[in-house]
Amino acid sequence: MQIRHALVLTALVAVGACGLGVLAGSTGIGAASPEIFWQIRVPRVLAGFGAGAALALAGALMQLLTRNALADPYVLGVAGGASVGALGTLLLAGSAGGSLSEWRIAGGAAAGAFLAAVLLFALLGRRLAGPTSTAREDSSTALLLAGVMIGSGCSAIVSLILSLADQGQLRGMVFWLLGDLNGAAHWEIAWMALALALAIVWPSARQLDWLARGDAWAATLGVPVARRRLLTLLAAAVATGAAVATAGAIGFVGLVVPHALRLLGVRAAVLLLPASALGGGAFVVLVDAAARTVVAPVQLPVGVLAAAIGVPAFIAMLLHRPAMRRGE
Amino acid sequence: MSAVVAERTTGIALEIAGLRLRAGGGPRGRDLFGTLTLRIAGGERWVVIGPNGAGKSSLLAAIAGVFPIAAGQVSIDGRTLADWPAEALAGRRAWSPQFWSDPFPATVRETAVLARERGAWWAPAVPRDTAAVDRLLERLDLDRLADLDVRALSGGERQRVAIATALLQGAPLLLLDEPASHLDPAHQRLLLGLLAEHARGGGCVLASLHDLNLAWDLADHCIVLDGKGGAVAGRRDDVLTAERMSRVFEVAIESVEVHGARRFVSGPQEAASDA
Repeated sequence: MQIRHALVLTALVAVGACGLGVLAGSTGIGAASPEIFWQIRVPRVLAGFGAGAALALAGALMQLLTRNALADPYVLGVAGGASVGALGTLLLAGSAGGSLSEWRIAGGAAAGAFLAAVLLFALLGRRLAGPTSTAREDSSTALLLAGVMIGSGCSAIVSLILSLADQGQLRGMVFWLLGDLNGAAHWEIAWMALALALAIVWPSARQLDWLARGDAWAATLGVPVARRRLLTLLAAAVATGAAVATAGAIGFVGLVVPHALRLLGVRAAVLLLPASALGGGAFVVLVDAAARTVVAPVQLPVGVLAAAIGVPAFIAMLLHRPAMRRGE
Repeated sequence: MSAVVAERTTGIALEIAGLRLRAGGGPRGRDLFGTLTLRIAGGERWVVIGPNGAGKSSLLAAIAGVFPIAAGQVSIDGRTLADWPAEALAGRRAWSPQFWSDPFPATVRETAVLARERGAWWAPAVPRDTAAVDRLLERLDLDRLADLDVRALSGGERQRVAIATALLQGAPLLLLDEPASHLDPAHQRLLLGLLAEHARGGGCVLASLHDLNLAWDLADHCIVLDGKGGAVAGRRDDVLTAERMSRVFEVAIESVEVHGARRFVSGPQEAASDA
């Protein structure tokens, strides 16, 4: 019963967030001219929703795969690759003196994400395809370590690019790194990636719950362990890469949205995955609406506000966790 | 319909022919035991006994299909493991490992029904009747804990949840790795009762145990792995002797009759080292 309430609540919040998102502008809350409405606000809400949904879905997937509630889309290293791609594009364009379209930055980010994913699969492919281990430490640890290493390498390259960039480029780069929906007009990538990722993982969501309990045990229930892990990883990489290419490296959503849903009682992956997507999309749209209006006409980076709103909200949830303590 | 869990199909048979296992799986590993050949039929209760590292868990995992077989064959219902579709096999045997990973919040009830929820929602592999789940939770003394987080449980309580998960999978062959660990004497009895009932309903049980008296009470057959490459399988009364146990565990163990059952005792530490 409680689960149903949580799901309905998530869906209502998602609808409400999108309504609020299209009404919020840099001139305050209210209707806008049809041109602004259709060409700026609606694409921006769609982009924010798609990116947030993809990040939260990827976060839920990575947590299940690594059996670690602290995992998020960025432990894959794929987002790090996207950052390197986007900033590299900005740097090269800057030194060439050319102007830069949003599409080219997104393309650079997507290429970086793709290369990082290829590296991750090359490192893990044989390990994941090997025989299923009955040991307590199985492939989830290797996955976590490989992803963290790729991410560390990427962040070193990002630092290098930042130190090479000149003053004019630096501001755009920092905004991109913080997560930015300004001019995020190409919402289609995130939505396609989201649809693809859900199509890959959702039909066999139950198997992800079993895998989280142990590879060998899942194998005795008929799960093709290596294939399921690789496909799930692929879905998470696609979702993360597209989200970061669309909206920059928005933190926090992928870690906290699945976690919050679990605290509300949504545990089975078959419910948790779509609910995470809805919740993540709603969260980013809401935060972006606030980012545009709070200190309008100045627009805050959505990633900063996401953490500013999300951290206290999450701590409050942790402290008031209602259920399942002994003696209650 | 068995009293323990819902459905039970026709008799189950497990055949092990010339089985050899190597620790570490690969060619570099050491041999765990020579060769093991035996046949387990529905209604039988088997216990695996042996010192640490003798290969008890590996044997159970190999029969479950998740530990590489160095030589020989394991067949269930006359088909070798390789010939079974993995999903169909899940309906014939349930494997309960020694260690569980509980990374996320989940209630006792959610954890107990995990393996039961196989198949598509429109064509479940096991009927989704909550009454059977409730009955088993009650029998395992878990009904009061049903809505608690499994991560808040004590070791013995978590062990009972693992037994519930295995029984609710609905498979006739149960492969249980140390199902009595962390259980107090009352709950050990409860476990024996449930497993005996499972066997009476036509299923069979293969469990690794460390407590010789418990093994005697549960088993009608026994496999002894001596940790030095030897493996013996046979009827409990022939295999589970004080003399063999002393030899295998390298501790002086004597047996006495109590109410018609064999009890295994060893003297105090000093007496053992004098001997």
